[in-house]
Amino acid sequence: MSRIGVFVCWCGSNIAGTVDVKKLTEEAAKIPGVVEAVDYKYMCSDPGQNSLRNMIREKNLTGVVLAACSPHMHENTFRKAAVKEGLNPYFVEIANIREQVSWVHEDKERATYKAMDLLKMMVEKVKRDRAIEDVRVPLTKRALVIGGGISGMQAALDIASGGVEVILVEKEPSIGGRMIQLDETFPTLDCSSCIMTPKMVEVSQHPNIKLYTYSEVENVSGYIGNFNVKIKKMTKSVVEKDCTGCGDCWNACPMHKNVKSEFNINLSERTAIYVPFPQAVPLVPVIDRAACLHFKKGGKCVKCYEVCGPKCIDFTIQDEIIEEKVGAIVAATGFDLMDNSLYGEYGYGKYKDVISGLQFERLLSASGPTEGVIKRPSDGKTPQTIVFIQCVGSRDPEKGVPYCSKVCCMYTAKHAKLFSHKVHGSQSYVFYIDIRATGKGYEEFIRDTIEKDGVVYLRGRVSKIYQDRDKLIIRGADTLSGNQVEIAADMVVLATGVIPKKGSDKIAQMLGISYDKYGFFTESHPKLRPAESSTAGIYLAGMAQGPRDIPESVVSGSAAASKILGLFSKSEYEVEGTIAGVNKTTCVGCFYCQRVCAYSAISKEEIKDRNGNVIKVVANVNPGLCTGCGACVNACFSKSIDVKGYMDDQIYAEIRSLAI
Amino acid sequence: MKTIINEQDRRNFVSQVETMLHDKLAKCYQCGKCSAGCPVNFEMDYTPNQIIKMTELGMQDPVLNSKTIWLCVSCNTCSTRCPKGFEVAGIMDVLREIATRKGIESKTEKEIQVFHKVFLDNVKSNGRIFELELVGKYRLKTKRLFRDMFLAPKMIEKGKLRMSGDKVSAINSIAKIFRDFE
Ligand SMILES: Cc1cc2nc3c(=O)[nH]c(=O)nc-3n(C[C@H](O)[C@H](O)[C@H](O)COP(=O)(O)OP(=O)(O)OC[C@H]3O[C@@H](n4cnc5c(N)ncnc54)[C@H](O)[C@@H]3O)c2cc1C
Ligand code: SF4
Ligand code: SF4
Repeated sequence: MSRIGVFVCWCGSNIAGTVDVKKLTEEAAKIPGVVEAVDYKYMCSDPGQNSLRNMIREKNLTGVVLAACSPHMHENTFRKAAVKEGLNPYFVEIANIREQVSWVHEDKERATYKAMDLLKMMVEKVKRDRAIEDVRVPLTKRALVIGGGISGMQAALDIASGGVEVILVEKEPSIGGRMIQLDETFPTLDCSSCIMTPKMVEVSQHPNIKLYTYSEVENVSGYIGNFNVKIKKMTKSVVEKDCTGCGDCWNACPMHKNVKSEFNINLSERTAIYVPFPQAVPLVPVIDRAACLHFKKGGKCVKCYEVCGPKCIDFTIQDEIIEEKVGAIVAATGFDLMDNSLYGEYGYGKYKDVISGLQFERLLSASGPTEGVIKRPSDGKTPQTIVFIQCVGSRDPEKGVPYCSKVCCMYTAKHAKLFSHKVHGSQSYVFYIDIRATGKGYEEFIRDTIEKDGVVYLRGRVSKIYQDRDKLIIRGADTLSGNQVEIAADMVVLATGVIPKKGSDKIAQMLGISYDKYGFFTESHPKLRPAESSTAGIYLAGMAQGPRDIPESVVSGSAAASKILGLFSKSEYEVEGTIAGVNKTTCVGCFYCQRVCAYSAISKEEIKDRNGNVIKVVANVNPGLCTGCGACVNACFSKSIDVKGYMDDQIYAEIRSLAI
Repeated sequence: MKTIINEQDRRNFVSQVETMLHDKLAKCYQCGKCSAGCPVNFEMDYTPNQIIKMTELGMQDPVLNSKTIWLCVSCNTCSTRCPKGFEVAGIMDVLREIATRKGIESKTEKEIQVFHKVFLDNVKSNGRIFELELVGKYRLKTKRLFRDMFLAPKMIEKGKLRMSGDKVSAINSIAKIFRDFE
């Protein structure tokens, strides 16, 4: 027999002002199974909780219903109070008569009627509640970080410094990401390499970090605390442990003309055996087999092998698959830039001196193709006038993307500023739509560029660029004076829009996390859970989530790390027990449930007889992955799957209670 | 209107204006606060902030031939309210002066241009305004001798129109101001 106690909360006048709490209490006492109903001003207060505990004890209650505020507010409070009296926490139910009644209705009589309905439903539900145990999942206390840009490096360092082993997987031959391509960084103009290289070295030397470069994650299975990861280590054709990074091999490589350097974004060439840049970490070259004569010409060229002192070049090494077990993952795959050739009117690709902002970074950089002397690609002359164009692809819903790339306003100002410092007497013009400079010291940086460095800002877009002898003529608008303007420049720099790294959608699908229509990973909650993905145990960092600058990328890397250290600080991971359960007797093994489960929580389980023969295959729910969303319940034809705490018989009883 | 920016001409014009103005054009936000408060904005062909931007872009011709520089009544509302402390009213003065030196005659605001000249001459010779002389010269130059004549008796009665002018004692200092500027 059910012995149920009902508590009607006034919430001061929040509920009592609109709902007749006395009447509600009187009516509640009449529901079969209810042994006592009381009302109180603030149930969440200590005296309120004590009255709940007393009644459980004195009346030997089997269930409790509170007519109060949303369960989001105090479900936990009341469950804890019930547990103290030896009741299973899932025997506490809440009828939300504040958010769903008093706050949204005015007519007291009808509001009271509705409150009564909600209360009756919960009484019927609690009568059919079963005790539920929370699920405990064991934790493998190791982490995987995908992407070795600044955000991934920061996450790896923080996790490793917290005493946890980290596996860092980077696709390129070196870690560093985009930041190591930059010259100086806004708004403080500190040199990117100078602040980045020590960090890169720290990553490679940290005893808790296992670094896989030139590698990609191929497959991830499992769930929070228990992920199985397959990493494909592409062959470098070099025995890493023997290599000293002396450079004899790449200096000897005869293929030094035909391959464009990815790192310098086509502004220079590289050899077939190469390190992307001199400060690469690890300083171990890789052979680009598509460009290497040895592989193209059937083993004829072995120049690098000949010159290599430690003889660590080995053309036979194959790709390798490595398996690792981890308990948590950080996705920090960063960004790419949009394709400038979308805008024929700017002549990118047609005029050599129309370049992208990232290419300009390489021209500014002392370790770049021009050793930091700004030279234009066409004839190597130093430009005197440069026109910068912002929002190329960003904020262009027609051809590009509607969002703002966030960093271009700032890096364009930085480019114009550095140009004015490097080439005295030069002039920059910047075409912009709006200037977004909201970070610390950012607005001041822009004003300084305009007022001290004499950079002229024109509010408007450019319609056409064409060549006139050795000048580029830029025709644009200045909407502030209301004029069409024409400027003759030596070079044009496009602030190209930021997009997620190519293939980020595939990564998201592999990890089972959600992503938006552009391919940026989406947060579990955009404001309150910005470091978490939609899947438990997988965290996000950096530009892979959306446009952001270095400080924000670092912060997000640290945030992901602190979430993981927090997770690993417990011995086991605990999840609410309200998850799906399969009735294995009635399950027919159709696996419709598996198809609809967004969290890949359903697997196949073989039922065997005494002799080990498989009798049937049924669905099995992985408690670490199931969120209790209930999608499978709807999909199951044989009614064999139910979510604990929300069983079919409970739902039907709730509905039936309304008819009485 | 189409403007071809010639970098050298632009720099020359900007530097001429900035030297006379003792202020930097690049300070301007282009926020429009000046134009928002300007009492004669509705009659202007370019708003005050547009004049600043056009000057920065070296657009001499339209700026020096604009109605705006002559319609400005130097009330200083703009300069008082400018968040960057830019000399908005000052730039109008500077541009009027450059136009005058270049002998540019306003096609639309002829009378104001005459008044400007007569007014400054008057200050230059007296160190202050001698109203009777000012009005007389202005009327002569604009050939409208008797306009507003009926106002004279009332002004005399109120002591606003004195019959004889007197120079300020420090007339030499006034002369120096003019010399410095010219
Ligand atoms: C021209 C330009 C100038 C800029 N200037 C500044 C500045 O001055 N100041 C500032 O604060 N910000 C600046 N930024 C922004 C800055 O570059 C970014 O904020 C920062 O690089 C983001 O770091 P990240 O680690 O998130 O991404 P990334 O730097 O893109 O790093 C991602 C890493 O993940 C790797 N990766 C990707 N996919 C995989 C995969 N599947 N498996 C393994 N590894 C993978 C990539 O190879 C890369 O190494 C600038 C940006 C641009 C375009
Ligand atoms: S940051 Fe500036 S330039 Fe870049 S897209 Fe946004 S508004 Fe345009
Ligand atoms: S108020 Fe000042 S800053 Fe704003 S537009 Fe006018 S002059 Fe420029």
